[in-house]
Amino acid sequence: MEPELAVALPATGALFTADQLGLGLSISPLSRALLLAAAASLTLVVTFAPQRAERALLLTWGLAGIAGMAAIAAAPSLDLVILVTLAIALLQAAVAGRRPLAARLRAPALAVALLGAGLVLARIDGAPILAKFAAVGLVAGLAAAVGILPYIHEFDAEEVTAASPVVWIAFVGPILALEIVTRTRDLIPSAAAAFGAMLIGLGLLNILWGSLASWFSEKGASAWHFSFMADWGLLMCAFGVPVADGQSAAVLVMYGILLSRLPLYLWSRQSLREKIQTDRPINLLAAAMLAGSAPFAGFAARVLLLRGATQLYWPLALVIAIGLLLWLPPSLRLGRSLGLPKVRQAAGTAIALALSVAIGLYPQPILSLAGL
Amino acid sequence: MTAAAGFAAWIGAAFIVLADGRRGLAAGIGLVDLGFTVLAWTNGLWPEGAILLAGGAVCVFELVRTGPQEWGLMPPASTPRLILALVVGILSLWVAASVTTGPGAALRFASLAVLGLMAGRLLQSQSSIAVLTAASGLALALAGASGLAPGGAGLAPYLFGAVIAAGALLLPAAESRGA
Repeated sequence: MEPELAVALPATGALFTADQLGLGLSISPLSRALLLAAAASLTLVVTFAPQRAERALLLTWGLAGIAGMAAIAAAPSLDLVILVTLAIALLQAAVAGRRPLAARLRAPALAVALLGAGLVLARIDGAPILAKFAAVGLVAGLAAAVGILPYIHEFDAEEVTAASPVVWIAFVGPILALEIVTRTRDLIPSAAAAFGAMLIGLGLLNILWGSLASWFSEKGASAWHFSFMADWGLLMCAFGVPVADGQSAAVLVMYGILLSRLPLYLWSRQSLREKIQTDRPINLLAAAMLAGSAPFAGFAARVLLLRGATQLYWPLALVIAIGLLLWLPPSLRLGRSLGLPKVRQAAGTAIALALSVAIGLYPQPILSLAGL
Repeated sequence: MTAAAGFAAWIGAAFIVLADGRRGLAAGIGLVDLGFTVLAWTNGLWPEGAILLAGGAVCVFELVRTGPQEWGLMPPASTPRLILALVVGILSLWVAASVTTGPGAALRFASLAVLGLMAGRLLQSQSSIAVLTAASGLALALAGASGLAPGGAGLAPYLFGAVIAAGALLLPAAESRGA
């Protein structure tokens, strides 16, 4: 170390303690469990990436994403969560993509503005309705950050993954959503019911829109993008159900997005480009996993969500149960679009299927890891 | 003093909405930065204010250092932008001064006005420089708004906000590339 630095660093430490900086770092068990899932997902995706994929690029940006997610999880205040989100958005905009920079930055930066406005409204004293407006801002910001209705991100199927909106909807999104939802509940307890109702409403809308659009969309890659939206609908409903089963369902849905849907989407890109569709057993198994059939993790998540929704208000469970049927046709289509996986992808798909079955049959270790 | 600082932040954000040229955007971000710095200083947050000032100054420097130096203020067909700037200002003033109570009305006004106008600019603009300047404005506004946190949010939001504001304009306006 240079002598000047050796003097300057301890002096800086003496000037600002971690408390003064507002950096009392700690990560909740839920966030820790999600970070582990994200790391596992990245390992799976990079290890079993197709031959033509740029593995180094995927790994570099994936690790950068995980660092950003860790920063979001460790941020001591919602202000810092929002600022870290803005930093991630700017860094992602620096990745060369097919869309113009303005188009790539627009949605996440708008999300930051909405979240910021929600946070300001939550912190000021005044009429009780301000807390509800704060909840509107935070839910709208969350939807814009992830890229679900009412703010779907512009999607280009040919864009490099690190620069595409898939990063938000499938990788960074789950932990960001978790932090926003848990911190908002503490920030505006008086509007918790309104916040939950908005999450459920938006969730149902996304289930309907995402699954139908995934079913009828002409382009295969767009169908995958919409299928993420449908999963997010389920996740938003789970976040909105303030009972233990709802939270457990949310964790399992997020695991499903990170460990099942994201790897399969990335491995299917080549066959989507070559317009290959096959009806082999592996395609059917992948379709069953994506549809949330037993014994995969999605099934356990759905059962827990329905149980939680029944405790909250049974007609809600009925509506969600009807919505769940919409997963089947698009999942069959997405399973076929995987094509006939080559050796490497076949091994990856088998691992993803095995992981999903293990979590579906015995989800308790994951839930315990998440502190549930 | 605080009222003038809040007003300066709003005028700065309005400049960012109304300007397409680098000089106009620099003037806007400079005013936003100055407004939030003075608001932090009047709250007794001296290091925090200084950090914000430095972050914004780097952003202004980046804007005036490179590229064509034009003001580009209120180009043709900018009436909707002018209306947006006025409406957001009036709405923020109403919320900050009338709907809400307690001290810090100027900071509430500045935060809501700048966040609202930057959101508008992000949705409307196709230019990468304008969008990056709006992102810098967002960072400064979020950092400044952390002063509304009960008990204070510490130095970290100011530091992060200043670093983001300073770094946003350093990003390359990336070229197109396929999958």
